[in-house]
Amino acid sequence: MSSRREFRLRAFVATLRGLLHGQHRDDEFGEEIQEHLRLLADRFVAQGMSRKEAAGAARRQFGNTTLLQEDRRALKTLPSIEALWHDLRYALRLLWKDRGFAVVSIATLGLGIGAVTAIFSVVNNVLLAPFPYKGADRMVFPRIHNTQQSEGGGRQGYRVTEVLEFTEHNHVFDGITAAFGDPVLYKHGDGTEALAGARVTPGTFEFFGLPALHGRVMQPGDYEPGAPPVFVMRHKTWMERFNGDPSILGKAFVLNDTPRTLVGIMPPRFGWYGADVFVPHTLTRDAKGPADSQPYWFLVGRLKPAVSVQQAEAELTVIAHRLAKIHPQDYPPHFTVQVRKLGDSVVGRLEATLYTVLAAVGLLLLIACGNVANLMLARATAREKEFALRAVLGARRTRIVRLLIVESLVLAIAGAALGIFLAWGGLKSLVAAIPQDVIPAESVIELNAPVLTATLCIAVLTALVFGLVPALQSSRRDLNDPLRDSGKGVSGGFRGRRLRDAVVVMEVALSLTLLIGAGLLMRSFVALREVHLGLRADHVFQAVLPLPADRYNTAEQVTGFLRPLLARLKAFPGVVNAAASSAMPPYGGAESKMEIAGTTQDEEWQTLFQQVSEEYFQVLRIELKQGRPFSEGDVDDARKVAVVNERFVRKYLPTDNPIGRRVRLATLETAADPVHDAWFEIVGVVDDVTNRGLQVPTEPEVWIPYTITGYAVPALMVRTSQAPGTMMNAVRREVWATDPGVALAYPSTLEDRISEQLYAGPRFGFLLMTIFACIGLILMTVGVYSVLAYSTSQKTHEIGIRMALGAKGTDVLGMVVRTGFRPVALGIAIGMTMSLLLGRTIGTQLVGVTMYDPPTLAATTLLLTITAAIACWIPARRAARVDPMVALRYE
Amino acid sequence: MDKKTSEVLQGTLDLMILKTLHALGPLHGFGIARRIEQVSRDVLRLNEGTVYTSLLRLQQQGWIAAAWGTSENNRKAKFYSITKRGQKQLEVETENWERISGVIRRVLRLEAERSS
Repeated sequence: MSSRREFRLRAFVATLRGLLHGQHRDDEFGEEIQEHLRLLADRFVAQGMSRKEAAGAARRQFGNTTLLQEDRRALKTLPSIEALWHDLRYALRLLWKDRGFAVVSIATLGLGIGAVTAIFSVVNNVLLAPFPYKGADRMVFPRIHNTQQSEGGGRQGYRVTEVLEFTEHNHVFDGITAAFGDPVLYKHGDGTEALAGARVTPGTFEFFGLPALHGRVMQPGDYEPGAPPVFVMRHKTWMERFNGDPSILGKAFVLNDTPRTLVGIMPPRFGWYGADVFVPHTLTRDAKGPADSQPYWFLVGRLKPAVSVQQAEAELTVIAHRLAKIHPQDYPPHFTVQVRKLGDSVVGRLEATLYTVLAAVGLLLLIACGNVANLMLARATAREKEFALRAVLGARRTRIVRLLIVESLVLAIAGAALGIFLAWGGLKSLVAAIPQDVIPAESVIELNAPVLTATLCIAVLTALVFGLVPALQSSRRDLNDPLRDSGKGVSGGFRGRRLRDAVVVMEVALSLTLLIGAGLLMRSFVALREVHLGLRADHVFQAVLPLPADRYNTAEQVTGFLRPLLARLKAFPGVVNAAASSAMPPYGGAESKMEIAGTTQDEEWQTLFQQVSEEYFQVLRIELKQGRPFSEGDVDDARKVAVVNERFVRKYLPTDNPIGRRVRLATLETAADPVHDAWFEIVGVVDDVTNRGLQVPTEPEVWIPYTITGYAVPALMVRTSQAPGTMMNAVRREVWATDPGVALAYPSTLEDRISEQLYAGPRFGFLLMTIFACIGLILMTVGVYSVLAYSTSQKTHEIGIRMALGAKGTDVLGMVVRTGFRPVALGIAIGMTMSLLLGRTIGTQLVGVTMYDPPTLAATTLLLTITAAIACWIPARRAARVDPMVALRYE
Repeated sequence: MDKKTSEVLQGTLDLMILKTLHALGPLHGFGIARRIEQVSRDVLRLNEGTVYTSLLRLQQQGWIAAAWGTSENNRKAKFYSITKRGQKQLEVETENWERISGVIRRVLRLEAERSS
């Protein structure tokens, strides 16, 4: 065995060498033979022959030199390129002759490969390699993980001192950078607009390693104290707000009341932190000023090549434990530092969906392979005589297998070409359907080199999957049998028939799995739409109002702006009501540690809290359950009163009357505009409003008057009597009329926002699954139909005999449907088992429905059964109509 | 055609070549052909080209090695020599051959006894 393997290896090396110097070695060999012939002739001459006779005799004694050269080539065990070329031409000729088969196969494969290519290119460009940065796969961000809580969550923002400690004392990163985002107010001739700004630390642009598209990136000198103020702009912002006008480079813009020179525009794929503009910022421990009012920075480091995630986590945990002693309020009692990949900060929501869909299209491709394999099997049965003849003429089994594999490869490559074309077209609509803000800003979804390479690999793999089994099967057959068989098809291809049935079983099973997946996602999506939001989102216009930090620091200043603005808005025609809030639905406000007077607790209590104006609950139509909402007096006098949600009551005050109890929000006491002695009296209880998304139960929440502290960025909610989208310019005018230095940011309608934040992701997943399940169903139908149509036509003779013997049309119909349905039923059973086993992966994405949901299972099975029944019915009816005389005469 | 000459038995040519190289040391193809012709005393009708097929096969198995050298009439020629593994193989094959030819001899003798 081992010598055999060694021989193969040797032969392989010889072949490789032969491919490289083939001609040369042939020449050498020829020379050796010529020399032999010369010596032999010399010998005959010495025995007395003439030169001419001797040469002839020598050649006779030597034998056929051409044959010898052939032998020599045959000893190279790999097929030469020449032979492959021959096979290829032959395969092309045969496929051309059998155009129908070729077209159906290529179309089927194209559909399967195209689907996989499209989804894989989304996965590759969004999940696997979304960032164009230097060493992006080693870029990570640390997260403070509370070990008493389950996975997820945790703090990702760090105070300046923490950033500096991590930067100065780690040995695991070869680069580190920090950013924090705050809106930048850009003042121009007409008014003020808000841009998403990011303050970035020295070395940020070197860290990412992308040069500017126009102008230059920030340089070390720009971060020095006293350096002329500059900024860098994102490509998208430049295109959308300034029409890609190159003349703005080098101009000064008034940003946050400071003139800054635009020194560079970044290339399109630079989307760091989702910011429109980048402003240099140097971190110092004793800094006072804007950095302290927005104290949490996002930190990204690039791991040194040899450093593992575990090593990094261990070292950062040590540093963080030191920091926990300096900032005890920022750390839970038990924590570790987790190191997450950069992409995890963005794509979390889409990841599960994409992998589910990728698995689904994988199944689709398998179904496509099953179909083609079936066609190949049917065709191979028809070609039995050709193979037998070839074998009798001395073709070895490997030769026939090779021929069939070459044919499969031709089909697969053509399928891949069609698939790439389909994917290219489908990708455009797919990209349009992907919800915004869930994929990294840097990623560009396209058919790039890695994707196309993967597609080619898939094509070759499919060729093996659908080509090898039929090839082996048809080359294994007894040589004499098909030659003797006159082709009546009564005994022919029993084994082929069983294999084709097996393929049908597989196809049905896979289709059912796909259908059940799509059905569950659809049910889940419907359930999601029915989740109680706790508010009425229709007819609400909303926007954020980032206030200039220098003029709006305290509660009085903020109130001094908001109170007249709300009054103006309420008086505006078309406006029903208006309110301000520190958070935007469907997400709740900030988190705070909390205690309730008169209760004792072992663990730490947490709650969300929002600051709102008095008519917030009326504007969003949030139902009051107990007590009263805020009065105008509460808000105007900044009374320390609170409204809580029902969840809060159920969790923390389950047995007591909550009205009149006092709650302390500890975070407010250390905020930028601190509240002394932050105890609030509960005056009302409202319905639970979704505040952490739909998949997560609503958390306890507390509302307090916005007049108590002025540090949060306010959001505006305006209930309108007309379409809320048309209100934007009116609201902006009122804002500018109140203070021309304030801008309206992220204007939208509440309905759109909720739809985008809550439903877009699940809808995308469900839509894709449905599309692929439909394609799967069609492919399955075609598969079952073609198998049955083929085997029925093979049986025409038998059916003729039966009918001649008195069988009725209905008997024949029943027989065909019965034989056809057996593999379908088996496939349904296997598919059901499979989807129950696979249910776990999809289970994580389901809301309000279990993976064993009986209606879904029943409905999908029924749909599949009906489809399969139709696929059985057509060939069966044709068989029942067979004229016995015609069938018997049929040869 | 002379009834006494016969075709070389399948597989025996390899054995003969190995033995020849073992006994005489490095030889070129012509030399090997001559030696086999000489030893068989013209009993074997050797298609000399097949020697080269056999040589290629043996080379690929690693039982013989080839090197370019100069022939007795001062021309470039390829010389083949047996390798260590080839010698081992020769021992195995020789033993095989003797066992099988012994069996065949016994069988033929049996036949001869019956028919006499």
